Amino acid sequence: MRILRTKFYIFHKTKLILAILLKNGYMGKILKADLSTWTLKVEPTSEDIAKKYLGGKGYAVYLLYQYLKEYESKGIPPAEINPLDPENVLIFATGPGTGVPGFPSSGRYHVMALKSPLTGSIGSANSGGEWGPFLKFSGFDAVVVEGVSDKPVYIAIVNGEAELRDASALWGKNVFDTTRILKKKVGGENTSVACIGPAGENAAYMACIVNDEHRAAGRTGLGAVMGSKKLKAIVVSGSEEVQIAEPDKFKEVSKRCLDVMRKNAVTGEGLPTYGTAILINIINTAGGLPYKNWQTGVNPNAEKISGETLAETYLTKRRACWGCTIGCGRVTSVKSGPFQILASEGPEYESIWALGSSTAVKDLDAIIKANHYCDELGLDPISIGSTIAAAMELNEKGYIPEEDLQGLDLKFGNAAALVESVWRTAYKVGFGKYLSLGSKKLCEIYGHPELSMSVKGLEMPAYDPRAIKGIGLNYATANRGGCHVTGYTVSPEILGIPEKIDPLKPEGKAKWVKIFQDFTCVVNSTVNCLFATFALTIKDYAELLSAVTGWNLTEADILKIGERIYNLERVIINKYGFDGKDDTLPERLIKEKMPEGPAKGQIVELEKMKEEYYKLRGWINGKPLPEKLKQLDIEL
Amino acid sequence: MAEVLVKIMLFATLRKKYRVKELNVKCDGTIFNLIENASKILGESFFDDVYDRNQGKVRENIIFMINGRDIRNLEGKIKVNNNDIIAIFPPIAGG
Repeated sequence: MRILRTKFYIFHKTKLILAILLKNGYMGKILKADLSTWTLKVEPTSEDIAKKYLGGKGYAVYLLYQYLKEYESKGIPPAEINPLDPENVLIFATGPGTGVPGFPSSGRYHVMALKSPLTGSIGSANSGGEWGPFLKFSGFDAVVVEGVSDKPVYIAIVNGEAELRDASALWGKNVFDTTRILKKKVGGENTSVACIGPAGENAAYMACIVNDEHRAAGRTGLGAVMGSKKLKAIVVSGSEEVQIAEPDKFKEVSKRCLDVMRKNAVTGEGLPTYGTAILINIINTAGGLPYKNWQTGVNPNAEKISGETLAETYLTKRRACWGCTIGCGRVTSVKSGPFQILASEGPEYESIWALGSSTAVKDLDAIIKANHYCDELGLDPISIGSTIAAAMELNEKGYIPEEDLQGLDLKFGNAAALVESVWRTAYKVGFGKYLSLGSKKLCEIYGHPELSMSVKGLEMPAYDPRAIKGIGLNYATANRGGCHVTGYTVSPEILGIPEKIDPLKPEGKAKWVKIFQDFTCVVNSTVNCLFATFALTIKDYAELLSAVTGWNLTEADILKIGERIYNLERVIINKYGFDGKDDTLPERLIKEKMPEGPAKGQIVELEKMKEEYYKLRGWINGKPLPEKLKQLDIEL
Repeated sequence: MAEVLVKIMLFATLRKKYRVKELNVKCDGTIFNLIENASKILGESFFDDVYDRNQGKVRENIIFMINGRDIRNLEGKIKVNNNDIIAIFPPIAGG
């Protein structure tokens, strides 16, 4: 090991540190950066932990739990950790599938933090692009970030060597400029930048981390955590290869899985042709597309903001993440007019909904521009769109003093106000100061918490559970808060994948929610794309992961790993004080009947579903029972 | 059976293929006849795109909604009524 000490950083040459590194899906090394002391350390990736938690989200959850135990032993109660203080820990993690050529849609990584500034619950987000695979090619499975730097800093990881560098000249720059400057500066092949924009620097609570300019670890405000640490970016670059245990077996399983995906109507045709925005019309037809801050589930202008319209009018080409055969990414442009933008990416279904349907903005030009600002400035479009929609309802009902708005005409449907609000939030200008807090705090400030359409402080995504009951149970019980991809039961309830179930019936939804939540933990720990699961099965994952790692994993093993991760994550949020009372939904969804459409008259029968769910989970009042933890081999 | 008039709406690749967003179709109230008559307007391939002749029902991977309800979730004998809106989606997903 060679350590060069300078005034500002310690430089580690990591190649010689460890004699035996975990291989076969892993690079065997985890980089730890303590920004308070500008110190870098390298630790081995543990086979024991990897066998129990895989990688990505699972491995990060395990590490976060160890931090909490350490803090407790030092007399720091988990509930008192401030998300923006040095005690918070940020982890960027890949898994055994990430960056393995032929592993379906494995261009992803997961980011976690002990606490989200938006929710106070665990921070968790996932992103595609190239950054995840390139982190592995740089020689590391994960990067753990502790402490707070006294000045802006970025981490450069190049072919097994890591360095902390002064980022003062980058502070204040947007995502696109930061990315281009750092890519050029670091150079090399397979170089990718994950960074924050002004929103993260200014600690907007819904700030995200953006990699490859348009891909984001979007949810739970992890960009604000990064900003609080003064960490502007992590640049990864390298050409190391990921080894696999059984190459012949892997080749065979990979070929079969990729064939299935290419022939599958969704992963082979629907998503490549239209991207995710194709859902706008079908969810609206089913009466579940929230409109005007969830006052109804039917948007009369859905067609104007649909995936079909996006494809016909704005789409210039597709863009796939690293190694992905689906290629759902959209490259778009608004050719003229006040919202002109010559080259952008997206918007995705969720972004169109939050920035468009929830705000009643029907001008797709403006939605694309607002989404572009989210990428450029580093904001989660779901949370900011939903927060703007909540503000519009507060304003409509006369709850916001005019002087607070500072001239912002926040009315439903006002496209210009939407776009204006996004940048005001990132820079905390005028009413942007209030919007930057997220909908929960915003609505509390103005005395109407019931108008925040959030769970545990996280704004819910684009499916009204009065029309799709299972997703309501998932929102309520998702550890990170109102989230769809924790357990995407929209798949069986609306799309009929893997089988069709009735969206309006609460019966039997608990078992679907549980299995989707557990399996998704595996996907986020693999780490590959959830969209692969539209075509692939749990058995496929067992075979793929077995061939890569050399461990003989069965379907039961896979689901047990997922359940273990979900339960340990739940133990963590229990330590923060979250329990059954927080596994709930906004009153609007459990008390106000859906006013129109196919779900007219429906509410969410949450308590009934939750009782069944807790029973299946082995939880009481939202807390895992000791025997459940023992059964899952979780050591506390 | 009495003749009914319904509106069919096509989405995604079906809309792209048949270059039609929506059309009004008369039928005898059965789904078979509805798709049969729509095929007379859109072209024969539409029938096979949507209907499984061997199974005698709408293809399993087609999302066929009557007034926003997927027919796979409707109970009893399925009929279409006058002024119903029929939404037909090919296999799609997102998230």
